[in-house]
Amino acid sequence: MRERAPGTTSEALRRVAVSAAPASQNERTSLRPVSNHPAVLEVGDLRVSYGGVPAVDGVSLSVARGEIVGLIGPNGAGKSSVLNAITGDVRPAAGSIQFAGRDVTKLPIHRRARLGMARTSQTARVFEGLTVFESLVTFARGAEGASLTRTLLQRGRRLQEEQAAELVWEMLDRHGFAHIADLYGRELSGGQRRFVDLAMAQIRSPKLLLLDEPMVGITAAILPGLMSALREAAERSVGILMVEHALDLVAELCDRVIVMVEGRIIVSGTYEAIAEDVEVRRAYLT
Amino acid sequence: MNLYWEAVGFGVIAAASIGLGAMGFTLQFGLTNVLNIGYGAIMSLGGIVAYVSHSAGISIWFGLLLGGLSASAVTLIVAKTILAVYARRGAALFEMAMITFGVALIVEYAIAAITRNNTYPLTIAIEHAMSLGPLRFTKVQLILVIVAFGVFVLLDLFLHLTRLGVALRATAVDPDLARASGIATNQIVTAAWLLSGFLCGLAGGVFMVNILTISAFTGDSLLSLVIVAALMGTAGSVRGAALAALAIGIATQVVSVAGASSYDTAVAYGFLALVLLARPRTLQGGLVTDRVQITV
Amino acid sequence: MQDFVSISLVYLGIYALSTLSLNLQYGYAGIINFGWIAFQAVGAYIAAVTSLGPASPSGFQHYILGARLAFPLPLVLGTLAGAALALVLGGLILTRRIRRDFQAIIMLIVAIIAAQVVIATVGLFNGANGLSGVPKPFNGVFHLSYHGYQWFYVGWMAVLCIVVYAGQEWLCRTSWGRALRAMREDDVLAGYAGINIQALRVVVFVLGGAIAGFSGALLVEFLGTWSPDAWSFVETFVVFVAVYVGGRGNNFGAIIGAFLVPVVIGTMPSFLPQFGYPGLTANLEWIVIALAWLIIFYLRPVGILPERRHIATRSRVSARVNATTT
Repeated sequence: MRERAPGTTSEALRRVAVSAAPASQNERTSLRPVSNHPAVLEVGDLRVSYGGVPAVDGVSLSVARGEIVGLIGPNGAGKSSVLNAITGDVRPAAGSIQFAGRDVTKLPIHRRARLGMARTSQTARVFEGLTVFESLVTFARGAEGASLTRTLLQRGRRLQEEQAAELVWEMLDRHGFAHIADLYGRELSGGQRRFVDLAMAQIRSPKLLLLDEPMVGITAAILPGLMSALREAAERSVGILMVEHALDLVAELCDRVIVMVEGRIIVSGTYEAIAEDVEVRRAYLT
Repeated sequence: MNLYWEAVGFGVIAAASIGLGAMGFTLQFGLTNVLNIGYGAIMSLGGIVAYVSHSAGISIWFGLLLGGLSASAVTLIVAKTILAVYARRGAALFEMAMITFGVALIVEYAIAAITRNNTYPLTIAIEHAMSLGPLRFTKVQLILVIVAFGVFVLLDLFLHLTRLGVALRATAVDPDLARASGIATNQIVTAAWLLSGFLCGLAGGVFMVNILTISAFTGDSLLSLVIVAALMGTAGSVRGAALAALAIGIATQVVSVAGASSYDTAVAYGFLALVLLARPRTLQGGLVTDRVQITV
Repeated sequence: MQDFVSISLVYLGIYALSTLSLNLQYGYAGIINFGWIAFQAVGAYIAAVTSLGPASPSGFQHYILGARLAFPLPLVLGTLAGAALALVLGGLILTRRIRRDFQAIIMLIVAIIAAQVVIATVGLFNGANGLSGVPKPFNGVFHLSYHGYQWFYVGWMAVLCIVVYAGQEWLCRTSWGRALRAMREDDVLAGYAGINIQALRVVVFVLGGAIAGFSGALLVEFLGTWSPDAWSFVETFVVFVAVYVGGRGNNFGAIIGAFLVPVVIGTMPSFLPQFGYPGLTANLEWIVIALAWLIIFYLRPVGILPERRHIATRSRVSARVNATTT
């Protein structure tokens, strides 16, 4: 934690922080006592570089169950690289990643996913050539659905399909998206793609949700639904690490905010606390 | 021991044609990101044109030049008419490879139709082999090696010292940045097609002079080694391709002397395995992706 | 004339198996196997050398093995050979995180070099001359005439094709088939779902390789001969065009494509008047197929029978539940 310069605040940030803080703060403290929960994710001294150029230069962070952590910073700070290293999309040069008590640093993407790690992508990533229903069922069935031996030999196949279908319909109905079930990924609008991307990540009740700019391109109409979906997830003890640029949304949602600049964490704390930090303002204003 | 030195010599001669083709292939691939399977047919074309001009009485060396030039023209035409059409419509990388496969068939079988599927023997004056240290070359073979090496040197100088060459390398590294810097990328791409076509046509001609036969399908046997050599170097690295070609050429000849000659092509498998095991290729921001940009 | 029909039908069966194999690998799983023909070839060769007797040193054919096994062992071994080759190549090539077009071209190179190796290593499969005299199954059993045997083989092929088609269609409609398509659409996203895409890719490649090997074994048992001329790398191209024309990701479409492209386009020239030198029509055929390929790619049709559109149905229970809550 960096020392704060007293008495200097950016007026815009303060306004946002004040308007967002009181209500959500109470919500947070009353519904999700985050401080008592163990860490679902612990990242230690992570280093990522691309062809010798360091993008992440010694980042350590943790996310507790039920906690929503925001990861913010100017472009090129390395935020997405941190996320990609956690999910396994990118191999770090050094550092450790502990997930739900296990060392997953060397595990491939699908193994981490099976352990309960889920993510969304910056560009809302969907299966273009599968329907929404098929995409969600694919995630709901997961590894078991893709096993040839199980498909050929196992007796309860149809039951498993039906159970997965139940899960999918329940999720579609809950968010009012049952009408797009048969649309192919390439036929979806931007907002629908965001929903499907997030739904696929959540359908197996993950322990950790990693979101890469989930609010980009979201219309004002869908936004409250998205935010309540994330809050609900946190209430169910899902840990959430979110890379976002929309600071007002970060202020409203996140229990804790981490600020990265040029591959390093410069400060972390509640939104109000970091909003007053000199370093943060310099990073954002220059 | 002498036998092995001879093999090394043969390997250097073989590397002449492999290297020319590999340099052309990697130059174009490094710039446009398109894996052009059509180069096999282009190499056959270069050889055929060289053969025809030689039969018409022109010196074989001038014939090689003509082969390179015609191959260059055909490559550009194909690239700007056929490949550009698909690139414009947003074809994915693997789709481009499938399209070049189709183009390769059209060019190859068109040549076969015109040449009536004949395999033509090349008759040039065979002279005594001269000794160059432990290596032995005929005069013709020596000229082939000198031509290939000369082309390599010229190409390397061109890429590093001339404005067009430097622009070519810059565009290969980052096309958007190059365009933003005012480099006329269209011209660069055209230059790359012409140059790579010329090199492959020349490779076909040199190969023909080496093995003394040519048919519509001669380029195919060369293509595999050319692509392996090109993939062994970094995309766009002419020096890497040349070095790899040398290694492959010498290895195949040495192996054929050491073991049965049937295993020399199997050596190519060994190099291919090296390519696979050692070079993860599409790391864009650390993420492996099929969505690399195509410039045509 | 009836010979022509029966032979064409046998070839239809062989090509149907070929397009099914490629449709599984490419249409469903998105693997671009430019070296597909090598799998058919290895199936043919292994079936041949396990049904031919041992090669005599004074004989005119030189090859490995030579086991003279009874039906159906050569067929089984040919199928397993295709599967084994796919396991090796798939493990080496498809498990690397490299671009798909790289993988495609490497497969192509493997097929090209394989032909060169076989031709150069005469002791392996009798080099450029190939193998002949491969015994035909059931020949001694039924005492059929030459024509009778052709038709018998047609029936035999039909049964096999139906079995393979039914099996593959069933498999593709399961969650496993859906996982293939997910991997084809976005393999990293499929990984996020917990699917081991490297393993899945190798498994489907092996299955496709097995069917390809099976087709090769059947073909060599029908023809009685097999040489490198029969499996030039361009043959892969014909199967690709057939899959595209018939409809990628649709197994019945694959069979339609097998009929239209290799059989119709392949046999049509025999009905045209001969012009030019002998062999000209063959070259023109290739040019026509390649042009058709480019045109199809340009127009990007989904083929005659596009991939089945999936409609989600609610089970009665959930429909009732949802009806009461809305």
